[in-house]
Amino acid sequence: MDLEAFENRILPAKNKLFRFALKLLNNSEEAEDVVQEVLIKVWNGRASMNQVQNWEAWCMRLTKNLAFDRIRAQKRKSTDLMEIGFEVKQDEPSPHDKAEITESMQQVNRLIASLPEKQRQVIHLRDVEGYSYNEIVEIMEIDMNQVKVSLFRARSAVREKLIKINAYGL
Amino acid sequence: MDSKIQQLLDQYWKCETSLEEEKELRAYFNENEVSEDLKETALLFKYFESQKNIETSSVVFENKIKVNTISSKRGKVRNMFFATAKIAAGVLVLVAATYLVRQEIRKSYPEEIVDTYSDPQLAFEETKKALMMISKTFGKAKQEAGKITIFNEAEQIIQKGTTKDDKEKTEKIKI
Repeated sequence: MDLEAFENRILPAKNKLFRFALKLLNNSEEAEDVVQEVLIKVWNGRASMNQVQNWEAWCMRLTKNLAFDRIRAQKRKSTDLMEIGFEVKQDEPSPHDKAEITESMQQVNRLIASLPEKQRQVIHLRDVEGYSYNEIVEIMEIDMNQVKVSLFRARSAVREKLIKINAYGL
Repeated sequence: MDSKIQQLLDQYWKCETSLEEEKELRAYFNENEVSEDLKETALLFKYFESQKNIETSSVVFENKIKVNTISSKRGKVRNMFFATAKIAAGVLVLVAATYLVRQEIRKSYPEEIVDTYSDPQLAFEETKKALMMISKTFGKAKQEAGKITIFNEAEQIIQKGTTKDDKEKTEKIKI
């Protein structure tokens, strides 16, 4: 893969990678760092990756793994901090979310954010990014059954909560 | 809302829609006003669409990636140079070491030995002289070694003496 192919095939996916990283990390700076790391890894390893068939899914998977590495590192750090009695940083919506999502949208945002990790990932990959089930299998490294079950549970939970919001304005 | 969308929505909740159908739903809820009871559902699809518009903000970000990837491309040429330089340095050290060791080995032999006589007659005479010297020395050494036999004789005499004494003693006891 040369620079041109990299710019035409990999770079356009950077916003998808960024959104996925942002979904996982809740921090736009960290998400940008992860995307940059992914792109550099792809560029540096391009010679040995000729057998990769779906580059985008492959990059998404790498993004997920690097983001999880960071989350693990943060958890270690935050438990260290707790031990010596510091305030642990609260999970709040990033400036991105604040600026781009209106008040009522934030309600939906909170709703999605309250889903379990796996369901949140699946619903993001399917309903926001429009990936096929096969691609989601590749990205999340879980089997087809789990993908379908997670998506079903996620949508059911969302539906239930939407009905509640509609009925009681919660 | 037409019945087709209602049907698609039902399928959507059951996860039976295709990607195309889901796209259709997103488009519908983003473009059309819907009745009060579907307001929240519309909001959900609007939320999905709005999520899609989140982008990495900075041009700086893209430039940073380009600089990084291109600089790592340049780095490849540099890496190749370093790799070659490493091998060359290794070979150089090996050659230098072999040369020095060889010199040391040569030094440890005196040069006289290396230079021998060019005239065969003279060389033969010298060799004979040397061999004669060795043989003389051997002869002398043999004479000196002969003295050792004195000890052997003395030992034998002593042994004989002691065995005689023993016999006398045993005879006395018998008597």
